[in-house]
Amino acid sequence: MLEIALAQLRFATSLLLGTPFSLRSLEQIVSTLKETRQEFGPLASPKDDLSGGGPVLDEETRQAMQLRRFRSQARKAAQETGYYRDLFEHLDLDLRRLSFEAITRVPLLQKDALRANPDAFVCRTAQPFLRALTTGTTGKPTSIAFSSHEMRVYFALEAIGTLFSGDLEPDDIVQISTSSRGTLGNICAAGAYAHIGAMCYLAGVVEPAQALALLTERRHIAGKKSRTSILSTYPSYLGELVECGLRLGYQPTDFGLERIYVGGEVVTQGLKRRCQQLFGPVRCLDSGYGMTEIWPFGGRLCEAGHLHFEVSQGLLEVLHLETGLACQAGEIGTMVATPFPPYRETTLLLRYNTQDVVQVPAQPPTCSLRHLPATSPILGKRSLSLHHDHGWTFPRHIMEALEALEEVPLPARYSYRAVPGGVALDVVTRTKSSLVFHTIENSLHEHGVPVQQLRLMRDPQQLSHAYPLRCDLREHTFPASPADEIVMQEMDLSVSQVEKR
Amino acid sequence: MVFLSFAVVLGCVCCSLLGGWCYFRRYTISRPPIGTFTRTDLAVMMVMITLVPFLYLWLPLWLAAPLFLLSILSILYTTWEPVVRARWAIWLVVLVMMALDVWAALFLRTHTGVFSAVNNVVLLMVSIGVANLWAQSGMKARDVAILSGFLAVYDLIATTYLPLTSNLLARLSDIPFTPLLSWGVGKSALGIGLGDMLFITVFPLIMYKAFSRRAGMIAGMLNLLAVAGMSFLPFTRLFPAMVVLGPLMVLQYLFWSRRRGRERTTWQYLQEEPAKHPAESVNVEMRCAGRPFQNGG
Repeated sequence: MLEIALAQLRFATSLLLGTPFSLRSLEQIVSTLKETRQEFGPLASPKDDLSGGGPVLDEETRQAMQLRRFRSQARKAAQETGYYRDLFEHLDLDLRRLSFEAITRVPLLQKDALRANPDAFVCRTAQPFLRALTTGTTGKPTSIAFSSHEMRVYFALEAIGTLFSGDLEPDDIVQISTSSRGTLGNICAAGAYAHIGAMCYLAGVVEPAQALALLTERRHIAGKKSRTSILSTYPSYLGELVECGLRLGYQPTDFGLERIYVGGEVVTQGLKRRCQQLFGPVRCLDSGYGMTEIWPFGGRLCEAGHLHFEVSQGLLEVLHLETGLACQAGEIGTMVATPFPPYRETTLLLRYNTQDVVQVPAQPPTCSLRHLPATSPILGKRSLSLHHDHGWTFPRHIMEALEALEEVPLPARYSYRAVPGGVALDVVTRTKSSLVFHTIENSLHEHGVPVQQLRLMRDPQQLSHAYPLRCDLREHTFPASPADEIVMQEMDLSVSQVEKR
Repeated sequence: MVFLSFAVVLGCVCCSLLGGWCYFRRYTISRPPIGTFTRTDLAVMMVMITLVPFLYLWLPLWLAAPLFLLSILSILYTTWEPVVRARWAIWLVVLVMMALDVWAALFLRTHTGVFSAVNNVVLLMVSIGVANLWAQSGMKARDVAILSGFLAVYDLIATTYLPLTSNLLARLSDIPFTPLLSWGVGKSALGIGLGDMLFITVFPLIMYKAFSRRAGMIAGMLNLLAVAGMSFLPFTRLFPAMVVLGPLMVLQYLFWSRRRGRERTTWQYLQEEPAKHPAESVNVEMRCAGRPFQNGG
């Protein structure tokens, strides 16, 4: 009791003052949480939200606190990074006296600038340990350096959040089916699981049949469940698993899955519903929003479907798609994020343009996280959104419309372009018929997509400029043994038999 | 008169045992959301048990008395909180109890029967509250056994070989909340210290939680018999009760841990023997946020 009180006090001091986290205190909190859960069962959610990391603040205090953090991060960036030293030399800004409104005078940092010279953002006095590359779904991978201390802090913070959520137990087995190149997320997950005591393995984005075979394997490890109980993956890859699993004749009883975490892309209601055809009534949870560049600043979803951003972790701005000014209630814009100390100390980014499009809620949220800034779920990347005569169409609208339909195989594959009066869309479907055509057209209209031209096709290869999906970051493997080859051949055989039928 | 003192003291022990047991089964005392009773807490407790008597002897009475009063106030508030629920009612009950004790001590003097009666009731509530606070904070039978073993030695030294306990009681006997459940004056006086009463109350609760209802009941019965036995002995001076109670508790712990193996956690205890009150808060809110994925592409 005494040790945990001191550890919490130390943690709170870092949150309030922005001073570096004490690893010892964080690890003390993690171990005490485990002991508490073991002694008393599932943890009650704390009111001051240790899991989320920050205190509940009124608007004025929030602005004052965020301004202090922004100034501090900007001054450090100007002193310690090449990029910001050069930038602030040419700007007439007094970073010590910067007002909240004047933050917008700091130029937006575009992805290209970061890609061109990632080392220019690394602090001179930092001790980088990991250079985390993004998967490069929207172009050349971006890289961000992290220190060993930062990584260990992330492990502990993620473990604290997971322990509070109660979504992971020491006897769980987790299959991580994300790209092996998505280093940061995978390492952080593994680090958090190590704290909790759960077992995990990185399956990668391999052939879906292989991933499914891993999910059905029986384990015989003392203290662990008999089969993989948690799957963590991208929505597009989950869609591929569902299609492949149903084709191969798998039943829900073949799996021991209890929860599926999906994220990294747009997660649709249709996918959540349809994955139950294969896996049964598992909980399919949207993991919120995270991004290597601004890690660990990210959004978590509330029960009302908003993304909420912890104010002590960073500053979130939503800038209008066309004017570039701060969005008002109900407007749509791109997210601009500044991760704060003590969460980020090695690679410093100020006002990073994430290119992710969101909508500011039209009404003040009334959900349980209403004290935190909120946006809608991600609507898609700015570069993949279309501006047309009727306004904007975002990937989420199309994905929601398509993945809700059984006629469209998962993941929905499509390409689209602006045409006079709306959008022209090519969609991959199971069959081509006028009934399917009208069903899809209606669904698109229902989701607010002003479709002007619609083409159905059965072969994804026919799509020109298809919407990029992470399931296509395919990782190849060698068959490990002749037995594996036989299994793979049998799978191929059964697939072809099913397709013939 | 001696018989009356015996009956009152033994009655107080019975009330504390039964009250503590009923409270344990019926009410959930407020505890911090994170943390259990650890070995560090045990070590700190041992240090405090050793140092606090010296502190009370060293501090001037005008400072020692309010400190003691504040401790009693916080314990009583915590104890009544789950019982009465409404904040104003808790304050009312606590302040009335404390006011009565202070009034009786100041205006009727501490050697009167009225003060003893009021003080015994207050101390009973304190004993029940602290015992439940410890038992519901995840204190293990192993911890109580270690603590009671330590206290057996400490009590022997502090009471028999040093004048520490007698000096402390003499110093605190004229102020409200005298930490002695007692009855009678002169040769017919009989009493039991608050610390001893606390261990008498907490041990059965923790044995119940850790092993079984039977272990808890046997612990309660043995404690009662031990106190009764000690009361019959013809002592002319203070007797260190923990010298008897401590080894008894250690032996019971050894017996039950050999017989039952691992201790139950609070969660296992509540699963196997659901309490009459709503079980420990199982407030697993729907949390969508697992680990955020990297979106940067």
